[in-house]
Amino acid sequence: MGESTFLEMNDILKQFPGVVANDHVNLRVQRGEIHGLLGENGAGKSTLMKILYGLYTQDAGEIYLDGSRLTLESPQDAIDAGIGMVHQHFQLIPRLTVAENVVLGEREPATMFRPEAASESRLPDALLSNSLVQSIAKQFSLGLDVPKRRIQELADQYGFDIDAGAKIWELDVGQQQRVEILKALYRDVDLLILDEPTAVLTPTEAEQLFESLDRLTDEGLSIIFITHKLDEVEAIVDRVTILREGENVGTETVSEVTQADLAEMMVGREVLFQLEKDGIEFGEPVLQLNDISADNDRGIEALSGIDLTVREGEVVGIAGVSGNGQKELAEVAAGIREPTGGEIVVGGTDLTGAKPKRFVDNAVSFVPEDRLRYGCAEDLSVMHNAMMKEFDGSRFGDAVGLDYDELAAYAELLVEEFDVRGAGDVTATDAGDLSGGNLQKLILAREINRDPALLIANQPTRGVDVGAIEFIRETLLEQRKDGTGIVLLSEDLDEITDLSDRILVIYEGEFVYETTPDRADRDRIGLEMTGGQATGEPGKTGAEPEQTPVVTGQNGEHR
Amino acid sequence: MNVEVDLTAREDTPRWLTYAVPVCTILAALGVGAIVLLVIEINPLEAYSIMFVDTLTSEIGQTDTLIRAVPLILAGLAVYLPLKAGLFNIGAEGQLVFGALAGAWVGLNVSLPGYALVALMFLAAAVAGGVLAAIPAWLRAKWDINEIITSLLLTFVALEILSYMVRGPMQGGSGNFPQTERFSDAATIPTLFTRVHAGILVAVLMVALTYVIMSKTRLGFEITFIGSNDEAAVQAGMSKYKVYLFVFILSGAFAGMGGISEVAGVQGRLRAGFEPGYGFTAIPIALLGRNSAIKVMLAALFFALLFVGGTNMEVFLGIPAALVEVIQALIILFLIAGEFFKSYRVTVDIDRSPAPAPAETPKGDA
Repeated sequence: MGESTFLEMNDILKQFPGVVANDHVNLRVQRGEIHGLLGENGAGKSTLMKILYGLYTQDAGEIYLDGSRLTLESPQDAIDAGIGMVHQHFQLIPRLTVAENVVLGEREPATMFRPEAASESRLPDALLSNSLVQSIAKQFSLGLDVPKRRIQELADQYGFDIDAGAKIWELDVGQQQRVEILKALYRDVDLLILDEPTAVLTPTEAEQLFESLDRLTDEGLSIIFITHKLDEVEAIVDRVTILREGENVGTETVSEVTQADLAEMMVGREVLFQLEKDGIEFGEPVLQLNDISADNDRGIEALSGIDLTVREGEVVGIAGVSGNGQKELAEVAAGIREPTGGEIVVGGTDLTGAKPKRFVDNAVSFVPEDRLRYGCAEDLSVMHNAMMKEFDGSRFGDAVGLDYDELAAYAELLVEEFDVRGAGDVTATDAGDLSGGNLQKLILAREINRDPALLIANQPTRGVDVGAIEFIRETLLEQRKDGTGIVLLSEDLDEITDLSDRILVIYEGEFVYETTPDRADRDRIGLEMTGGQATGEPGKTGAEPEQTPVVTGQNGEHR
Repeated sequence: MNVEVDLTAREDTPRWLTYAVPVCTILAALGVGAIVLLVIEINPLEAYSIMFVDTLTSEIGQTDTLIRAVPLILAGLAVYLPLKAGLFNIGAEGQLVFGALAGAWVGLNVSLPGYALVALMFLAAAVAGGVLAAIPAWLRAKWDINEIITSLLLTFVALEILSYMVRGPMQGGSGNFPQTERFSDAATIPTLFTRVHAGILVAVLMVALTYVIMSKTRLGFEITFIGSNDEAAVQAGMSKYKVYLFVFILSGAFAGMGGISEVAGVQGRLRAGFEPGYGFTAIPIALLGRNSAIKVMLAALFFALLFVGGTNMEVFLGIPAALVEVIQALIILFLIAGEFFKSYRVTVDIDRSPAPAPAETPKGDA
């Protein structure tokens, strides 16, 4: 790399309790390049960037910027060193103007106190250059004229098409993002970190962003571009560093590798387990989604026209990179997110628009992706959590009363049967005190012991230790044998191919590819997951429920 | 010099600490109060002995404490129950006043034989309090409007309505005071012993009811779960709408009953400003007793003791009322702060070597 290396992160180690988020990661960014940081969720991208931005402190390793060593204890340190970051979620105040948002946190004295605007000031030079006057002016006066002019100049220089006097709420998302970039530029950064900048943008807005980024690098700025989408890497990135499970897999020059190579580096994993899977006759459909569309939490369309049929005893694996609609799909199917269009039929009953309770009563079980938020109440006992759905069953009391002894006994049974360790006294141990794997086992126990007709499992083994992973996968297959229809959403391709009877790939809210595990080509799936363009003849789009488990065997075409 | 204060959450609270903390915090509060007393040249030991020992050992003191405790227990429950569901009922004061108003109207305008009238007054008070409390609950459940603000603001609405009623339609008695006529004997809550009225039975009954709801019913399970993680609870099919309305309406009923028991049990008529803010005192009571309804009752009794003992100090030693309030406030403050030490371990690190502070440390920024 030699002389042109601008940023060097050497041997960065960062551990959280039970997890190594960054395992001796190296990163080298050259001056004036757009450097991609590619990896799945949980691969350690964000941790690495938070270290660089002073939000975390590394356990070991060193950071050099432009040859000098940095000690970063806060984002202010990072900004002072010339490192700026644009977060995925904007940190703007909608009621204030662009200029006000940009200068927020800086001291901007009124124009009359500014030496650089001496021509506009009527103060004598002696006063103007007096440091006491200056410090008082900085504390107690505020003038936005000069900053506003500079911000407008910056915006025009980079072709940002933003009026510095406009209020933030008047701007569209793409413009708001450019305001975030302006905030960094105004502070004279040399290195800009963009955290999945296109996640909130439409394709056109993304194009505009890419143009702006090109201009920035022409001016000598270096950019780190965090992403997990391969087509973006191809479109904008010069060199890319791939992280997987906290480790640096390699740094490649984008023009020298194919998307398939990158996909393999990113998602390729060794097979951990060989699971026994018997052939099963599929029964009646337990879930039918017809032309479902839904918005995400921010009101942006996350699912557009999903068709899906799951039958008794069938495991449908849905592969995809996080953020392509899996969360929304799982929540719609589990009844906790109302679709904006389409129809949900569970076991022959139309449940479109029904309350979560009716899904629960219709034997739908759900293992949510975010188990702390949706799967349990951390501060309540293991018993409370084990009984979260079953407590109104008739065996636990009469119409009003609830027999807590019976609840505890049943919870203990679950804990024993599913080998939940560390529960101790189920009424005294809080769910939050269990380890991630054991908590997940508890949630799975709760969901499976209800003998569900349909089980939605979103990332059931994420963040779970190896032993628990095996147990959870075996449990899912057992449940399949009992005739439960299972929707398995996972970013782990091995998990999908090992467990599924049918594999669907979701990308940007649509199914783009369908296959079976026997015929699955991992590179192809990896490519489809990341929106990569495959070569070959165009084929059918999406799932064809009627033909299950027949594979379309052709290319999924999207957009 | 660098001082670093480090807070770590305790894994579990040692048993001795659960008892040591309240004792030590009360002693510490009294210690600080003693300084105040010494400044105005009063022997703190004598003052505290009057405040606590004399109050607890004399019949008058015991009676007053029990009478004071009735509205405090009921209002305390009115804050406690929503707290269990993750909501803050800051408007117990308004619900209490509204209940007193409705109960007093029934007492003045309805005639029924025996104890039936008193029972009807309690019912009216409960309904009125419940109706007032239902508004913030409904707004929260339906539109996610912050119940802290709505319940607090409705308190002022209730206070103004009371003020209007006792000066206008319900004004009565001799002279032109903002008060109603005296209640008839049938509209007065009967006394049990000395001056302690039957309202104390209602309060204890409601404590028992709350305890049973929270620890023996399906609804209690839902309240607990929604209070801990409402998103998971909704996913499991529980209804926030139902639970929010239930806890608030029942709370309003508790507070309303507290209001009528004060008016018809102690004062004998409804006055403007008839009570010293029991509904607001209920908030620290519920925070202290948040682990169970029975602890709410104990906390309410303790607060009643503070009120009565404070008055005694004022009467016997001539300590200004404001100073008495300062001492009461100190005790409450220390108790609530003490709760914090139960769940966190505090370590203070003093690093005397000159810190390698970066040169750009902002100066003078508060």
